Amino acid sequence: MLIDVRPVAKLTGPNPVDVAGALAPVFTALSTAALDLASLRVVCDWIQYRHNFYEPVEVRPVLADRPRRGEPDVGRERPAESGLEIAIDMRRHRDGGLAARVTKALAEQAGDGGTGHVLLEPWQPASESCLWRFNTLYWQALSHWEEATGREYEQALPGGRSEARDTGVAGDLIRELLRVWDELDARRALPEELYIAELGVGNGSQARTWLDTFTELDRQHGRDYYRRLHYLMGDYSAHVLDRARKAVAHHGDKVSTLVLDATRPQQTLAFLRGKAFCVYISNVYDNLPADDVASIRGHPYLVEVRACLRRADAAKIARRYHTRPGELAALVHRLLRLGPDLLAEAAPGQFRATGDAVAFWQDTWSALRLRERYVPLDGLDAYQVTPAMTGEILRPLLESCGDVRMHVSNGALASFAGTLPLLHPFGRLQCHDLFLTEPSGYLTGFHGPGKYDGSVVNWVNGPLLVLAGNRRGFDVKITPARRPGASVKMLTAQVRD
Amino acid sequence: MSPATPATAALRGTPLTTTVVGSYSVPEWLGRVKTDYYQRRISAGHLDEIHEVAIKAALKDQELAGVDIVSDGELRRDNDIDYLLTRIPGVEIADRAKTDYYDYYDARVRAPLPEAAGMSPGLAADFAFTREQTRNPIKFSFTGPFSLSRRIRGTGYDDAADLVRALARKLNAQARELAGAGADLLQIDEPFLAGYPEQVDLAIEAVNIVTAGVPVTWALHVCYGNRYARPLWEGHYDFLFPAVASARVDALVLEFARKGFDDLRLLKEHAWDRYLGLGVIDVKSAGVEDPALVAAHIRRALEVVPPERLMVNPDCGLRHLPAEVARAKLRAMVTGAAQVRKELGIRPSS
Repeated sequence: MLIDVRPVAKLTGPNPVDVAGALAPVFTALSTAALDLASLRVVCDWIQYRHNFYEPVEVRPVLADRPRRGEPDVGRERPAESGLEIAIDMRRHRDGGLAARVTKALAEQAGDGGTGHVLLEPWQPASESCLWRFNTLYWQALSHWEEATGREYEQALPGGRSEARDTGVAGDLIRELLRVWDELDARRALPEELYIAELGVGNGSQARTWLDTFTELDRQHGRDYYRRLHYLMGDYSAHVLDRARKAVAHHGDKVSTLVLDATRPQQTLAFLRGKAFCVYISNVYDNLPADDVASIRGHPYLVEVRACLRRADAAKIARRYHTRPGELAALVHRLLRLGPDLLAEAAPGQFRATGDAVAFWQDTWSALRLRERYVPLDGLDAYQVTPAMTGEILRPLLESCGDVRMHVSNGALASFAGTLPLLHPFGRLQCHDLFLTEPSGYLTGFHGPGKYDGSVVNWVNGPLLVLAGNRRGFDVKITPARRPGASVKMLTAQVRD
Repeated sequence: MSPATPATAALRGTPLTTTVVGSYSVPEWLGRVKTDYYQRRISAGHLDEIHEVAIKAALKDQELAGVDIVSDGELRRDNDIDYLLTRIPGVEIADRAKTDYYDYYDARVRAPLPEAAGMSPGLAADFAFTREQTRNPIKFSFTGPFSLSRRIRGTGYDDAADLVRALARKLNAQARELAGAGADLLQIDEPFLAGYPEQVDLAIEAVNIVTAGVPVTWALHVCYGNRYARPLWEGHYDFLFPAVASARVDALVLEFARKGFDDLRLLKEHAWDRYLGLGVIDVKSAGVEDPALVAAHIRRALEVVPPERLMVNPDCGLRHLPAEVARAKLRAMVTGAAQVRKELGIRPSS
């Protein structure tokens, strides 16, 4: 049996976590379980997100083979398992009756695997789960969510604000740009149009800070590059763009706004290929769909998930909205397809007004849980990480850490790799986000997914982006943000060689 | 089997000769195996055998596409610089392991390069292997002294230009060996020159050292970089002129498809009276060109250079393109060139 205790930083100091106290009930439960203990892994994590997708005890099967699409996953015909993982959240292990929880979770796993839950979807890679459609809905219907909660989304960011208002960072970048532009101009190689792009514009404060700082520094510089400047603001949400636009209204037609999918920047910004002198991305990557992969006993696995609601939660929600638990999955998918406005119109029996549909959205989001299983990958190249990248990109990371589970950050990787070609040879990409800086970080901590307001937060696999950038000829560096104590880090990518 | 056709004869006998710049598509699996070698996971002998198989496949792809003058695809090389620098006595490379095979080494020169020592192993064996595998005419390319020097720290010389000249002498010795092995179309690649336009005179001086006394057809390829399928610089070819007129080369091979064809005017303005290798395939895009577009590019170039002095080639090496895209692009290039040949009443090459 393998016991993996990840939050090692919490094992020392004045109030160390009581690992023995947490594991003892687990072994008590295992002593009566009919399990092949040699193939069991017990994983102790510390899930720091108060709002998350997991129970204090989770049981995850390790499948022996990759199931065929449509293969039954319950009863005697369910896929064969080669092992089992019991995951304990050390933050909540004292929440009463750990042994009983383990016994119950094992019994449920040994049964049909779904008796305690209302299932919302089939097994699939996490990036395809409806949890990301909830996330999309949050950005599309942000105004409704904010109205219901009474606070703007930026207040939900770690520390209550983004890095966007840091004039120091903007000033350093702009001074460097002015120097490069002077050099290119001297060689008659400076384009007439000077493009800066921002993906994920928030409330426009980054754009305003950047443009106001640029105006001032350009005036001091005396070359009037402002005349040639174009600042492109791109965001998934038209609502967010409208609000951001107001923040930079005083820069008039220097600013253009574009609705775009951050995971496919070239779909909207292909005209920028090789032209952008800076692409700025803040707090976007941690909010894009991501899978998890794991190396277990030296073999690669993809983590498949299925979203569900606990029966008790489902019953409560169903009562509140005049429906039956068995009909909740369909209602949730209607919500995700239509949004709260149209759902209220389409289902007047359940929702008297949009506000009721928003409340339904918030209730289901709050109750949403993920069940997980490990599915073997036949070969890393058989796993498509992004439309243009196979799992081979993961090999150096998976091979560097022994048995490890890590985020693939598919959306972030697609966005990053799709953005790099937009850069001018002297351009740079600058990104503030929650980055892991070493693959070994996955051995010692839990980094998501968690719930931030109505959105998903998942730390970004920084080493994976570094590797992908290197393979494309970029120097990629991840450095701490300037704000003391901030979890957010700054990633910078520039052409090397 | 009929004897191999010399490249020079092919050039002289076939207006609008189609050829490649040098590198060919490197499959992901080959990249992985190469990296394994640099991490000491497979032996050099196994990698050599893999390279030989890959080169045969690359030659076959070019022949099937109908390319007149082919190359070995530079598939033995880790990158355009290190394959040469590691063979030059006096160039120090402290750490020869690589995280990725395509990375550049950190190379240093702390003392003047020993003049008597040649490059080892030489490039002639590479050419000889290729010669055995195809009856088609062959172009053999190597990176020029100026670009090589840009990847070396410290010079060991009071005047940095002397390192460029010393590298040129090493390459001249290689060129002599290549000619001795039967190579008759050699190409010097200067992918870094566009980033240092103010040093064009030095670069051309070094090119002339490389070509001195080597009786082959010489081509000089200058592009804006193709590392990771990205341009390293932007600008115009005007920096090349008039300096390039003094280069003792027979052909200038330039990038046009990606950048546009405006710089063709430079050839007219400076009365370029030698061969032009016209880049008609954008190697930085996976989109396959329509043969009609290729033909249109060729017609535009014919306003400046007559067909007997026009070679048709991609902008640069094809190494970053997937194999199926590389094949399709070469087919489009050959079809486009054939279309124009037909319009001009030129018989297809034998």
